[in-house]
Amino acid sequence: MSGDAIVRLEAIGKDYGAGAAALTVLRSVDLTIGRGEFVGIVGASGSGKTTMMNILGCLDRPTRGRYVLAGEDVSTLDDDRLSDVRNRSIGFVFQSFQLIPELTVRENVELPLGYVRGARITRSKRHARAVELLTSVGLGHRLTHRPAQLSGGECQRVAVARALANEPALILADEPTGNLDTKSGEDVMQLLFGLHAAGRTIVMVTHNPEIAARLPRVVEMRDGEVLRDGAPHGARESASVGANDEGRAGARSDAHEVRRASGTTGEAR
Amino acid sequence: MRFDALFDLLRLGFENLLRNKLRSFLTMLGMIFGVGSVIAMLSVGAGARKEILERIQSLGIENIIVNSVKPPEETKTETQGNRRWVDKYGLRFDDREQLEATCPSIRKVLPVNLVKKPVWSGSRRVDASVLGVLPEHLAMFHLEAGRGRVFNALDAREAKQVCLVRQGLGEELQLLRDPVGATVNVGNESFEIVGVLADEAFRSHTQKALAIDGRTQEVYIPYTTSMRTFGTMTFVRKSGSEERTLVELDQMIVVAKSADLVRPTARIIANVLERNHKRKDWEIVVPLELLQQSERTQAVFNAVMLVIAAISLLVGGIGIANIMLATITERTREIGVRRALGARRRDILLQFLTETATIGVVGGLFGCLFGLAAIRAVVLYTGWQAVIEPHFVLVALGISGGVAVLAGLYPARRAARMDPIGALRYQ
Repeated sequence: MSGDAIVRLEAIGKDYGAGAAALTVLRSVDLTIGRGEFVGIVGASGSGKTTMMNILGCLDRPTRGRYVLAGEDVSTLDDDRLSDVRNRSIGFVFQSFQLIPELTVRENVELPLGYVRGARITRSKRHARAVELLTSVGLGHRLTHRPAQLSGGECQRVAVARALANEPALILADEPTGNLDTKSGEDVMQLLFGLHAAGRTIVMVTHNPEIAARLPRVVEMRDGEVLRDGAPHGARESASVGANDEGRAGARSDAHEVRRASGTTGEAR
Repeated sequence: MRFDALFDLLRLGFENLLRNKLRSFLTMLGMIFGVGSVIAMLSVGAGARKEILERIQSLGIENIIVNSVKPPEETKTETQGNRRWVDKYGLRFDDREQLEATCPSIRKVLPVNLVKKPVWSGSRRVDASVLGVLPEHLAMFHLEAGRGRVFNALDAREAKQVCLVRQGLGEELQLLRDPVGATVNVGNESFEIVGVLADEAFRSHTQKALAIDGRTQEVYIPYTTSMRTFGTMTFVRKSGSEERTLVELDQMIVVAKSADLVRPTARIIANVLERNHKRKDWEIVVPLELLQQSERTQAVFNAVMLVIAAISLLVGGIGIANIMLATITERTREIGVRRALGARRRDILLQFLTETATIGVVGGLFGCLFGLAAIRAVVLYTGWQAVIEPHFVLVALGISGGVAVLAGLYPARRAARMDPIGALRYQ
C-alpha cells in the first residue's frame, strides 16, 4: 500500500503565529493514504481536522514535516505551484457547495479546466467535458441552470462533477452532506461510494457518526494528533465522536444497503 | 492558445459588466465625462489650430506687414493754429529704399497706397477705401476675380484706370447692368471695373492686419494708377475745416526670403524705422507672431480643458476603484473557490484587471459618443471649428482603458492576495 500511496504525511505540524504566542494546531501527524482508499476524518471542533484538510488540499502549508502527494513533495512549493497542484491533483467538495452563483451549472464545472497550465483546453473541449461529467452525476438536463435554481442535493452533485473535472488523484470532501437533508445527503453519499468503487481516492471530513461508521477507514483526531486510525469499530467508537444512540442502529443497517448500492453505481463517474 | 485565454477573460469581463447594468453604467459615468471632454478638447483644439493656420496662410508666413499709423494726438496741437498745415506722417519712400538696399533678408517690398474716396455712379455714392496695389499683391493675398479678371502687369505699367471691386459695391451703387465692364467714378476720375472679387471676405483679424476698414467698400486699383491720379495727399473735409494728410507709403508688405528670416527681418525693420522716425507713426504686424499669440491663447484653453479632463478621469478612476473594491468584497467566496480550483494569483489579478479595463473601454466608447455630441453642440453654439480625427477615438479609448486598469490595480491586487482559506469561509 505504501508503494502506491497517494498521500504521505510525515511528522506534519502546523503552528499559527510565531514565538511564545504561537498556537500549535497540529503537533505531529503521520498518515499514509493508499490509492483507492476512502478515508473519513472525524474529531471534535478544535481537534485540527480542518487544518489537516487545508494542508491535504494544498490550501495551507505545514510548518513542519513533509507532505508527499501522488509522489510529489508539495510541502515546500510556492503559491503558484500549489495552485497548479490543486488544479491538477485535488478535487474539492465543500459543505456549502461553493458554486459561483453567477455562472451556469456547466460553467461552474468548466472552471477547473480553465486553469490548466501548459496545453490549454479549448472551449469546445471544456464544454464537452462538463456536459459529460454532469450527465454522469445525473444532471445532464440542468446544464444552463444557475445554482440558485437547483436543490441542495443537485448543487452538491454539481460540485462533485466539478471536483472530477481534471481527474484528480485525491478528492477532498469537507462534510459534503452537512447542509443537506437525509434524502439528498444519501444521494451524495451514494455518488461518493460509487466513485470509491470506481477506484477514486477520497478523504472526507464528517461529523456524522452514521456516515463515519460506513467508511472502510476512519482517522480520529484530537488536539492536533491522530488518536485512532483504522476501520470503524461499530457503535462504541462512533459514540466517542459524539453521536446519539438512535443514530447507531440506523448506521449499521445503512451500511449494508450502501455496499449493494455502490456495486451498482460503480461504473458511473 | 494565449489568444483563447484572453478571449475567455474578455468574455468574463463583459458578462460581469452586463450582469449589473445600472451599476456598470454608474461606474462608467466618470469615465464617460472624462473621455467626452478629452475628445472635445482634442477636436476643438485641432479646429482652432486649423483656423489659425488658415489665417496665417491668408496673410503669408513670410510676410511682414508695416502700416503707417496716425501718431498720438499731442502732435495735433501744432496743426491747430495753422489750417494750411499738412499732417505728414507715416512710412516714407526712403524707408523702403533703405530697407531694400541694406537688408539682405528681404526678397521684396510691396507698397500700398491707400486713399479714401467716394465711389459714385449717377446719383448713388459710396465711401470706399481705394487701395493701390501691385498685381502680385493680389496673388499674394488670394484676391481672385470671381468674374471678369484681375489687373495685370500691363495695366500697371500703363497706369490704366481699372479697378477691382467687391460684389457688394455694384449692389450699393445700384448698377443696373453687370458691374464687369461698367464705368464708375472714383473721386473725380472714372474707372472701368474689370473684375469682381470672389466674394470671400477676409476674417476680421486679417482685415485689421491689412489695415482694411471693414465698414467701407474696398476698391483695388493698380499702384501706379493710384500714385499718378491720387498721389499721396489725402484731404478730409470735416465740419468746415479741412485736414490734409500726407502719407507717402500707407503700407508696405515686406516679404522675407524664408520663414526663418521673418523674425530677424522684423527686428531690423523696427530698428531702421526707429532711427528714421522721431514719432511712432508706424506699426509692424508679423503674421508669424500672430500665430504664436493665438497658440499661446490656445495653450491656455488647452490647459484648462486638460485639467477638466484629468479631473473627470481621476474621478472616474476613483469611482471604478471604489466599485471594484466593493465588488471584490462581495465576490470574496468566488475568489476563494477559484483559488481552490487552481487559479494562481496572477489569474485572479488578470480577471479583475480585465473587468476594469472592459468597464473603462466600454465607458470610453460611450464617452466618445458623448464627446461627439458635445462637439456638435459647441460648434453649433459658438461657431468654432472642430476637427475630428479617427485617432482621437483611439487616444480616448487608450486613456480610458489605461485609467481603468490603473484604478483596478489596487482592488485586483487585493483580490489576488486574498488567503484562499479565509476567502472560502467568508460569509
